[in-house]
Amino acid sequence: MSTVEAPQTQAPKPKTPSTDSGRWRSLLPPLIVGVVAVVAWEVLVRVFNIQKFLIPRPSSIIAALSTSWADILEGTKRTGYVAVSGLIVGVIIAVALALLCTRFRFMADALTPMAAALAATPIVALAPIYFKWFGATDPTAKQLVVVSVVIFPVFINTARGLLEVQNVQIELMHTYGVGDWGILREVRLPNALPFFFTSLKVASSLAVIAAIVAEYFGGQQGTLGSIITQSAGLSRYDRAWAAVLMAALLGIVLYAIVVVLERTFMPWQRAEARR
Amino acid sequence: MTTADTTTPAIEIQGVGMVFNGGRPNEVTALTDIDLTVQAGEFISLIGPSGCGKSTLMRIVGDLETPTSGAVRVNGKDPRQARLDHDYGMAFQQAGLFDWRTVSANIELPLELMKWNKARRQTRSSELLDLVHLADFGAMRPWELSGGMQQRVAIARALAASPGLLLMDEPFGALDEMTRERMQGELVRICAETGATVIFVTHSIPEAVYLSDRVVVMSARPGQITDVIPVALGERNEDTREDPTFFASITAVREALRGAPVPAVTGSNSVDTS
Repeated sequence: MSTVEAPQTQAPKPKTPSTDSGRWRSLLPPLIVGVVAVVAWEVLVRVFNIQKFLIPRPSSIIAALSTSWADILEGTKRTGYVAVSGLIVGVIIAVALALLCTRFRFMADALTPMAAALAATPIVALAPIYFKWFGATDPTAKQLVVVSVVIFPVFINTARGLLEVQNVQIELMHTYGVGDWGILREVRLPNALPFFFTSLKVASSLAVIAAIVAEYFGGQQGTLGSIITQSAGLSRYDRAWAAVLMAALLGIVLYAIVVVLERTFMPWQRAEARR
Repeated sequence: MTTADTTTPAIEIQGVGMVFNGGRPNEVTALTDIDLTVQAGEFISLIGPSGCGKSTLMRIVGDLETPTSGAVRVNGKDPRQARLDHDYGMAFQQAGLFDWRTVSANIELPLELMKWNKARRQTRSSELLDLVHLADFGAMRPWELSGGMQQRVAIARALAASPGLLLMDEPFGALDEMTRERMQGELVRICAETGATVIFVTHSIPEAVYLSDRVVVMSARPGQITDVIPVALGERNEDTREDPTFFASITAVREALRGAPVPAVTGSNSVDTS
């Protein structure tokens, strides 16, 4: 048989990797918006003479942050410990459950409604009960709140990523004589990674929120949650806002760590996200 | 190309039947009484209406389904053994490439699973990239390629372990007509270069005729082979598509699909195996 002339299909040429200057350019707009918003806030509060118990000026929040720095930093550490440890334990449990569902399909049918029921329960409202179980000064109660909040999104998404695999890819692995373990390693786990990281981003923010709300209900003193409630109770609103600011930073840092992990473990997704 | 190999035929199918959901209300007889022998190096197309069981038949050869009756031998072996021995490569309608692997790494996957070392895998994948005319695309990700290019990668992957047998389930079904014809040309070239035996499932009559040494025509409910039409076109090239024999063979296949008697003009001795 003669060779049939096959013209090359034109395909997109490999894109040039985005440079550091490109990354800074993408950071610039939100930075500008942020700075403008803070300046506008400061100016508006001064111009309209808004009472500081309603909204304190950014400058007074920063001042409160620096005067109470030691307390707030300690609070951030305590809250951060609860949030991160709860997040890690919750993620481990959720991933283990998702893997179990992949191995035994009936588990998926049994666990999914349970996980949904768990998600519909206002877990943080259970905090006072958990405090009774573990004692008010023990962080376990708060960690349990965080764990309970984290499990649902991570479990549901990871299980989906493990199960929603192209049938062709599974059959292909069969043609290679690969068993369940090989399919898990070569197909299901990499397929689940984007789902997992998406849920981890949600869960990292939820973990901080859950930890702080749990702290509102009592327990150990000197945490961000207790600093916020106490300061508000004593009308030290700038100090309360300073603690909120640190809580926000904590959430952002956790989120950023997840993004870095995502880029490390899924280099193939990076370019796609930039398209 | 059809020089009959006197040794073991590539595929022997005897009295194969396939019933899904046997004994239940939704019982479906997909195949009955299938006999087919494919010689090494032959290119066979399976064509027929939807639901005639042509994909099922191919999947039985590949041991992705187990027939409820009859016997199948692939290279003289049980299909399961042939599968475990990597005797065949398979390509589907969907390319089924892995996004987390580069194009090269996708092609190397079966070799990785066969524990080839890295240097050998890389040599082989670059050979295959040349073969499917994608030499510059090895480092790219599958989603950066067009549909036709992805399908070429899938074919390269199916060829990776140099299997003597290729099982192809409508691999060009999702491609546009122009790309499709070009891919057919490439497949003909690749088969000539590798000497592979091919079972090719398709809906397209011209495609079946252009590619095949024999076109196996099937009918639905229950799935049966109604005709086997040899195609005597010799070497394929772009002129083949204009050749009167090409059109005559297309007519023969079309009439066989309609169930009409095949006119003798085609010069093809249709073998009625039903």
